Amino acid sequence: MRLASKASSPPRRRQSFTEFLGRREVMPFLLLVPVLIFFIIWNTIPTLWLLGLSFYRFSLTSGRPPIFAGFYNFDSILNDSAVWLGLSRTFLFVILAVGIETVLGLLLGLLFWGSQKLPGRRVALTLLFTPMVLTPVASGTFWRLIYDPTFGILGSIFRGLGLPSLNFLGDAHLAFGAVLLVDIWMWTPFMVLMTLAALASVPKAELEAAEIDQLSWWQRLRLVILYHGKFILMLGILLRTIDAFKTMDLIYDMTFGGPGSTTEVIAITLYRRAFEDFTMGWSSALAVILLLISIAFTATFIFVLHSRDRKQASLAEEGA
Amino acid sequence: MTTWRRHLYHLLLWLIALVFFAPVAWIILSSFKTANQILAVPPVWIFRPTLANYVRVLSDPGMVHSFINSIVLSVTSVLIAVAVAFLAAFSFSRFKPPGTNFLMFLLLSIRMLPGSAAILPVYLMYVGFGWKDSYWALILFYAMFSIPFSVWILKGFIDGVSPRFDETGRVNGASWLSIIAKLIFPQVLPGVIAALIFNFIFVWNEFLFDYIIGGPHTTNVPTALSTGLYSGGGVDWTFVSCVTTLYILPPIVIVYVFQRYLLVGMTFGTVRGEV
Repeated sequence: MRLASKASSPPRRRQSFTEFLGRREVMPFLLLVPVLIFFIIWNTIPTLWLLGLSFYRFSLTSGRPPIFAGFYNFDSILNDSAVWLGLSRTFLFVILAVGIETVLGLLLGLLFWGSQKLPGRRVALTLLFTPMVLTPVASGTFWRLIYDPTFGILGSIFRGLGLPSLNFLGDAHLAFGAVLLVDIWMWTPFMVLMTLAALASVPKAELEAAEIDQLSWWQRLRLVILYHGKFILMLGILLRTIDAFKTMDLIYDMTFGGPGSTTEVIAITLYRRAFEDFTMGWSSALAVILLLISIAFTATFIFVLHSRDRKQASLAEEGA
Repeated sequence: MTTWRRHLYHLLLWLIALVFFAPVAWIILSSFKTANQILAVPPVWIFRPTLANYVRVLSDPGMVHSFINSIVLSVTSVLIAVAVAFLAAFSFSRFKPPGTNFLMFLLLSIRMLPGSAAILPVYLMYVGFGWKDSYWALILFYAMFSIPFSVWILKGFIDGVSPRFDETGRVNGASWLSIIAKLIFPQVLPGVIAALIFNFIFVWNEFLFDYIIGGPHTTNVPTALSTGLYSGGGVDWTFVSCVTTLYILPPIVIVYVFQRYLLVGMTFGTVRGEV
């Protein structure tokens, strides 16, 4: 009897495999498997490899196996004046490029704010936004022709105005500025885009209230527009900073870091040491340092992002 | 605003747009010139356009091969990346498994690294495994590089879809896969489009990675442009301008057609709104 009753009680049904996969504890990780595979093969393993190699003396051309060298590479980098020059040149480039792009982008963005009725607005905006989606190698190559002292259109314009024609990219005093100008041309549109997004996030009611209160233009900008738009602008500036720090294709294609090393930003320094000299140990150490800088940038970006989300959440609570 | 002031304002806006476009217009104009006309001093403004450059580019087997490579590399890698990123974004958004924030952070930091630093370890690995100059090795690396921004964009969009849709689906006995495919996917289609086009533009324009871990078989157009420039001493400007014009057309068309996705794409979903 006992046995029979045991047998007649509903048996625990065996879970089918698909049911197991669909369970709430398994599903989240299952969905992450593909991304983790990519992440481990193309990021974790190479990064560990890089970290390891940064403690070795290793040159691909010598044909000798890597020799453990402790902190030798890091020590050598920190005492290398070319690295410090490259880094300071990069930061100067970033500060000037992002600063000018932000101011110009803000001004142009404010100008384009009332452009809703502009005839052919979509085409005009396409023309305006085109520089930032162009292939950097292509624009770099073409700016070289524009800057060319004999054949370049810029030289022709200078001569037409009675000014001396300059070798913009070949002159050690001018190359940095010439490269900077191309970056400004390429990325000011991005800051215009961010400014327009920031302006769109300002509540209309508050602008009308400012109108009624007869606030001055400057007060409106500071108290209403920047108050609401500052997070988007900040994210824009940060993104541009990170991107400017990475700039390489564009400069490399115009000047190869020259003349001399006047336009050699740190990404080009690393490129040269790694893929022209093949000093892999040293280059790995420099890449590790750049990785740390990038992580600091990313952390700053996420911090600003979260402070925006917190503020929006608290605003929503107040509203409710 | 009086009528003429508004006209003046609109004229000014158009002028600004044209100033930014002027260098591009010069490239496009140059592609219809002969070699002498491109290098003429002073520059030639009025000329009889020639299509000879285009004929030359399109009949150059090396260049056509590079164009095909560019298309294959960018389209395949971006499709893989967005598919993989979609599943991950869904998991991050709905289940918030432990370590979500950390993983999102790590993913983003991959994209914040200067290209030469990002490619160095991969180069060492590819040399070690003999994966250089292989389509799949390059496509999968590009896919890996496109995943971070795709995850960020898609997570933002999936966060915007109420979990009640999932619950309704679950109650009615739908599997997770059909919930993802039939309930979530249609609602986040704009995010998918933004992720696709934004990463497409990135891979399309990419030069360094293709140059370092690719090879003669996988050369894309930017690499061909930058390495093939100095053949025979000087730069062949007619050829370059023509290749460039053909190559920058897709991004320009994308900016025009998908203008409202541009903001989401360029900020990987952290900023949204109408511009």
